[in-house]
Amino acid sequence: MSAQAAVTAGVIRPKLDEAAAPWRRVSLYTVGAVALLLLVLPWVLLRLDIGTYLMTLLILFFVQAVVAQSWNLIMGYGGIYSFAQVALFAVGGWTSGVLVHSLGWNPFIAILFSPIVAVIAALGIGLPTLRLRGVYVVLLTLAFHELARVFAVTGPRFISGGGYGLVTVQTFQFGNAIGDQRTIYLYYLAGLIFAVATFVIWRVIHSPLGVAMTALRDSETYAVSRGINQFRVRMVLFTISAFFTGLAGGYSTHYNGGISTTIFDFPRIIDLLAMIVIGGWGTFGGPILGAGLVIGIDQYLVALGDYQTLLLGLVLATIAVFAPQGLWPLIRRMYETYLAPEPLAPPVEVSPAAPHDTKDEL
Amino acid sequence: MLEVRGLVAGYGGGEVLHGIDLFVNEGEGVIVLGPNGHGKTTLLRAITGLLPPRAGQVLLDGKDITHWKAEAIAAAGVIHIPQGDLLFAEMTVTENLLMGAYHGPTWSERNARLGRVYELFPWLKERGGQLARTLSGGERRMLALGRGLMSKARLLLIDEPSLGLAPIITQQIYASIHKVKQGGMSLLIADENANHVAGLADRVYLLETGSLVREGPADELLRDKALLESYLG
Amino acid sequence: MSTQLVQAVWGGILFGSVYGLMALGLTLVWGAVRLLNLAHGAIFVVGSYVAYFFVSRLNLPILVALPIGVLAAAAFAYLMHLTFIRPVIGKPGFDNSTLIATVGISIAVSAAAILIFNPEYKVIPPVITGNFTVSDVQITKQGLLVIGTSLALFGLVYLFLTYTRQGMAIRAVSQQQEAASLMSIPVVRTYGMVIAISGALAGLAGVLLSPFFFLNPNSGFNPMIQALIVTIFGGLGSVRGALVAGFVLGIFESFVEVYYGVAWAQPGVFLLIILMLILRPNGLFGIGEVRRL
Repeated sequence: MSAQAAVTAGVIRPKLDEAAAPWRRVSLYTVGAVALLLLVLPWVLLRLDIGTYLMTLLILFFVQAVVAQSWNLIMGYGGIYSFAQVALFAVGGWTSGVLVHSLGWNPFIAILFSPIVAVIAALGIGLPTLRLRGVYVVLLTLAFHELARVFAVTGPRFISGGGYGLVTVQTFQFGNAIGDQRTIYLYYLAGLIFAVATFVIWRVIHSPLGVAMTALRDSETYAVSRGINQFRVRMVLFTISAFFTGLAGGYSTHYNGGISTTIFDFPRIIDLLAMIVIGGWGTFGGPILGAGLVIGIDQYLVALGDYQTLLLGLVLATIAVFAPQGLWPLIRRMYETYLAPEPLAPPVEVSPAAPHDTKDEL
Repeated sequence: MLEVRGLVAGYGGGEVLHGIDLFVNEGEGVIVLGPNGHGKTTLLRAITGLLPPRAGQVLLDGKDITHWKAEAIAAAGVIHIPQGDLLFAEMTVTENLLMGAYHGPTWSERNARLGRVYELFPWLKERGGQLARTLSGGERRMLALGRGLMSKARLLLIDEPSLGLAPIITQQIYASIHKVKQGGMSLLIADENANHVAGLADRVYLLETGSLVREGPADELLRDKALLESYLG
Repeated sequence: MSTQLVQAVWGGILFGSVYGLMALGLTLVWGAVRLLNLAHGAIFVVGSYVAYFFVSRLNLPILVALPIGVLAAAAFAYLMHLTFIRPVIGKPGFDNSTLIATVGISIAVSAAAILIFNPEYKVIPPVITGNFTVSDVQITKQGLLVIGTSLALFGLVYLFLTYTRQGMAIRAVSQQQEAASLMSIPVVRTYGMVIAISGALAGLAGVLLSPFFFLNPNSGFNPMIQALIVTIFGGLGSVRGALVAGFVLGIFESFVEVYYGVAWAQPGVFLLIILMLILRPNGLFGIGEVRRL
């Protein structure tokens, strides 16, 4: 390529370039500032009266955001309508729970097995399911959820704990740290899991694999005809998603000191779905934003009880139909305007009457 | 009866038709000739509301029908026999025909209409109970034509009547279209073969890369072999 | 005959007919609109609660409350179509939007049911009372009514789809939507009609079934999942499939329940459907809907 051409290419920056070199859209200063803030935050928060409470919320946010992001990776990006996410979380949770509770392992060792077993479970669900299309995936993953629930409730005693789940699992111990000191360690551990998951998912979305999955979602026929192996792409995504979901499950068990069978209740699925839909279905930052919003708002609305559920249902339906990308496009536009290191390339115009089965953009 | 003014249409980011002007008079046979991929199908789809036009007007008896839904345009008597036939594959031959008469006023006369279509394509009657997906290519085309004729059509838009058919069947198809025209039907046919349509055409338009480049009486244009050669190759 | 066997057969036929009734609505909507209606269970609940309201608060006889409940379910389904389905018809992302919207509607309905009534179990009286015993198994007359109604409705729907103008239009829209609109069939209005009919079927299933299961804000969920399984088992969009698969799965589940215990009924059915999808991915009467990659 001549120097002249390179310059021109740099100026025009076709759309694909962004996928090939995603870091160009990321301001290192912004990322650094956010990371620094999150590192320093506990030391500031714990000076407040409600600091411990806020820290708990943040830890909850980290865990939920990991699960929501993983789910969005397969559902929003991959177009796999899987409802097995909570079940995979439970698989992770139970794995390290049982290892610690029944075999007396150290939680820090046991948690390493959570993602592995979750991935094995994902392969088990994925192999028969992911060759099939939408509605079948919905049903089979719901079936897996239900099977997992029945097994957790009625299975052998070291799993079911008599129907309630594992109630007294040893929590993470950091030397002799107790109280706020221990909360800080827990916070850093959750934050680390969150950071790794977020980075990997971001990287996947912008990798060739990510391009393949977006192509499959937007025009399946075309993508397949260009030689993309749909089954393999879906399988890889599903596995990555299960890995982090299982890890979050393991953390959650040793954070809470147990895992209850109520985790399989339908509202848990709805909460996660709400995070993705409100934040932004099929967008990178959507689930993170959504997790923050849902957890934050929950604290205020929890007193409303069933009115909250009613409202949540209607909000979900309304956003899904009238603003399918949720709130993320708003945030993204602000980021592009004020923080992005390079100006946004002019958007490619796509008319709604495209000839093939295109789906959502981005 | 039908008039198209400055019609612009396309898919996605691309524009296929760049301002088409044409008209069809009562009882007239109008042919749009053009090679594959130059916008014939798009033109018919834009007229009958399957593809919302981006600009321009479609008038039926002076009434603006540009933004009507496909079903309303069909109810007004502009019947489109689409490319690929688009039969109801899991319905029988008779059921397919009956659906052609779905529109309220037509439905009450459906038996009389069935009779007329059977006259044109007698085999449809014998094979009435057969599922449409089991038919051969030529049979499908005839069924699609018959289904269109079940309606109260005043203007028939036919997309490449001979596409993908064996020569002998092609002849049959054009013969039956000819009969329909003799019954007083107005026709707008998109085709790429000048020889097929010679008997049907009163006027001819030549379509090239989304624009109409020539218009004239059929006996004049269709006789100009050099001209046709250069456009249709 | 042993009591267990009679129990299993009777339960199977009874549940099978109800699953079939629910599945009939789902399969019609899927066939015509390509909509996976996850609010089908919520519509079931709406019909039941409306009937319950008229029976318990207004003291109307169940025979009057039943049609009111059915109509309310149909109206609710139609309203859902107008507000959340119609705006995205033909748009990219139809699947995503409707999937989430119907999930949203179902949780909103169960929350509303708790708020208006309360989470306690409710009883709707059977349309006819009385029972008789066959080898120590109680056969309720309501059960026989449910089976009869279900079979009759399958017959009616079949006749409607085969011989009437509107019914044929529904099939036409299912098979070739573009051609249907070229035949001047109003596609979107036909969608609305199918969704309303499907709602009425769900409402009817709700009112007839509640005497067996009692009614609570989430009582539509399980019948819906069963109906979804039946729909897929029988072949998506196939009416005949819904009928046959309803009975096959109902009887299978009932036998597992009687001989192995209630806890295994659901997992057993799930294993069966997974096996089915591996062996015959289009279901019993499916017509090439699933694409194997």
